[in-house]
Amino acid sequence: MNKTTQRILNNSTLVLFAIVLLTFSILSHHFFSFQNFFNILVQASSLAIIATGMTFVLLTAGIDLSVGSIMFLAGVISGKLVVAGFPLWMACTLVLVIGVLFGLINGAFIFKAKVIPFIVTLATFYVGRGLGLFISETRAVNLPESFLKIGSTKFFGVPAPIIVMTIVIIAGHLVLTKTIFGKHLYAVGHDEVKSRKAGIPVDGLLLKVYIICGFCAALGGLVAIAQLGAISPTFGLQSEFMAIAASVLGGTSLFGGRGSIFPGTLIGVLLIQSIQNGLVMVNADPYLYTVITGGVIFLIVLIDSIRHLQQKKLKRLGIN
Amino acid sequence: MTKLVGLLLVLCSCKDIKDKTTIGISFETLQTEYWVASIDALKASCEEYDLVYLEAVANGDANRQFEQVNNFISRGVDGIVIAPKDAHTIIPIIKAANRAGIPIAIYNRLPAENPGEYVTVVADNYEISLNTVRHLGRLARKKGKKHKAMILIGDLGDMNAINRRNGFNDAVAEFSDIIEVVAEVPTEWNQEKALAGVTNALQANPDINFIFTCSDFLFPSIISALKNADKYHKIGHPDHVILGGFDGDAMAYRMLKEEYLDADGVQDVYFECESAVEALLDRINGKEVDELIVDPGFVIHQGNLEEKSASMWGSKY
Repeated sequence: MNKTTQRILNNSTLVLFAIVLLTFSILSHHFFSFQNFFNILVQASSLAIIATGMTFVLLTAGIDLSVGSIMFLAGVISGKLVVAGFPLWMACTLVLVIGVLFGLINGAFIFKAKVIPFIVTLATFYVGRGLGLFISETRAVNLPESFLKIGSTKFFGVPAPIIVMTIVIIAGHLVLTKTIFGKHLYAVGHDEVKSRKAGIPVDGLLLKVYIICGFCAALGGLVAIAQLGAISPTFGLQSEFMAIAASVLGGTSLFGGRGSIFPGTLIGVLLIQSIQNGLVMVNADPYLYTVITGGVIFLIVLIDSIRHLQQKKLKRLGIN
Repeated sequence: MTKLVGLLLVLCSCKDIKDKTTIGISFETLQTEYWVASIDALKASCEEYDLVYLEAVANGDANRQFEQVNNFISRGVDGIVIAPKDAHTIIPIIKAANRAGIPIAIYNRLPAENPGEYVTVVADNYEISLNTVRHLGRLARKKGKKHKAMILIGDLGDMNAINRRNGFNDAVAEFSDIIEVVAEVPTEWNQEKALAGVTNALQANPDINFIFTCSDFLFPSIISALKNADKYHKIGHPDHVILGGFDGDAMAYRMLKEEYLDADGVQDVYFECESAVEALLDRINGKEVDELIVDPGFVIHQGNLEEKSASMWGSKY
């Protein structure tokens, strides 16, 4: 395999992202515009925030299936409070507190009771959604105009959701690359047993990771609600899968220890959102949406596995 | 002595329950207002006929629904009303009920072709959509200008969603001289996807002025996108976007009253639920019943709002 091919394989998501942008730009002159890129960023903001939290969890070889339910429950409770006349800031703070609490519960069960993350977060997934449905009585919670204003507010011409997303991405990136906590996280993801032996406080680290994920889920939910202006009973449903897909597309390994938030997860999110955006722009057949999105995910995973095999081979030969 | 009397009372009440006809109500989900209104209406119909009912919700899991129905059968229910997950997973459930000799009524979703014995009560999704969009088309014609249309499609694996889309397409074809469909947005019944889809479609076609959604619960997404594009105006405003929906929920009712929504196709929940319970009772009593009961629904619009609002289930929520 020559160097160019190797380079393409190493940056497969970025290459595919460029191909997607180019293709849709050719097919629709509306796609390649400043306004549309802003659109894509605004629409990607909620998912990017949730996927940032999910990347932290995936890096430890864990998983969090409860993010969609956290978004829903936190949204319902805060929505009900705002409708009942409570101040907006209080409702928004409560959303984040609920997210942190859910993360704390997930993390505590995982490291205290030693239950595997899949089962713990599956349980909180059901509990969260069930509670949300119970509180909302399976009815849509229509939020006052003030909530929508948060989503459409601009600072120096930049929509608030993009600013929140940027802050979260930068913070997440700095934590992973510039702190001891970040380095420990990669180490735990690579090998938990060796990390324990090396004196890394694995349990505390896992707890923090799930709290971060819960917080990001709640914040991402808040950003989505501020754009929607209502919370339906299906709000947040399957968001966990979209967040996992975005992280994996961005190069995060489901087995832990490998991945990044910037550019990785961000590119993954933008790739998904650009495809969805482009398909509407060209008024594609509705049946093609899932086929194309699924096809791209499949292609990335395939390229990733080829790259992985290649690296293993090189390692065996002692070249890398 | 007191305990003995208590025990006798309990035994008497148990006998009373056993003497009454018992119906098992199984719902695939309660995750939209429509399903909640449906289960409430079914329970009200059971109470009206003095029936005892057991209820179970499968939370979208077809296997769990099958197990829940088997539990109903084990408990010796006299009849089953079921809102199934989809057209195919209902078939083994019908078989199980048939084997046990328990009449079964399928609510709101038409099963795939199968030799089983059952009654289906279903809204005429195609016809209701067709009539709703025809009404919108007539409004567009009155305006005397060309219209660019967008439709929000539901889950493409759901026959109800497909029939609603077909109804829209056929109605729009009748107005092809003034309406051009420029965007078909698949939503998978997801509000966030709907918001992104409508925003993108408005970006690609800023002159869209005719929108139909296959379910009312997507209205918040449409409103949010229209507001961002400064296109959400009351009927009569020169930039009003013609809006239509399907279901008849509380949001649609409010939008009709506030004069933002032009027309809504309404599923007659009360007719459907009462028909399902009546059909089941007839089957239990050995009477002949039509295999398919169709809810013709109705179109509610600004012209008949007062007259029809009492039949719109959303007006009660």
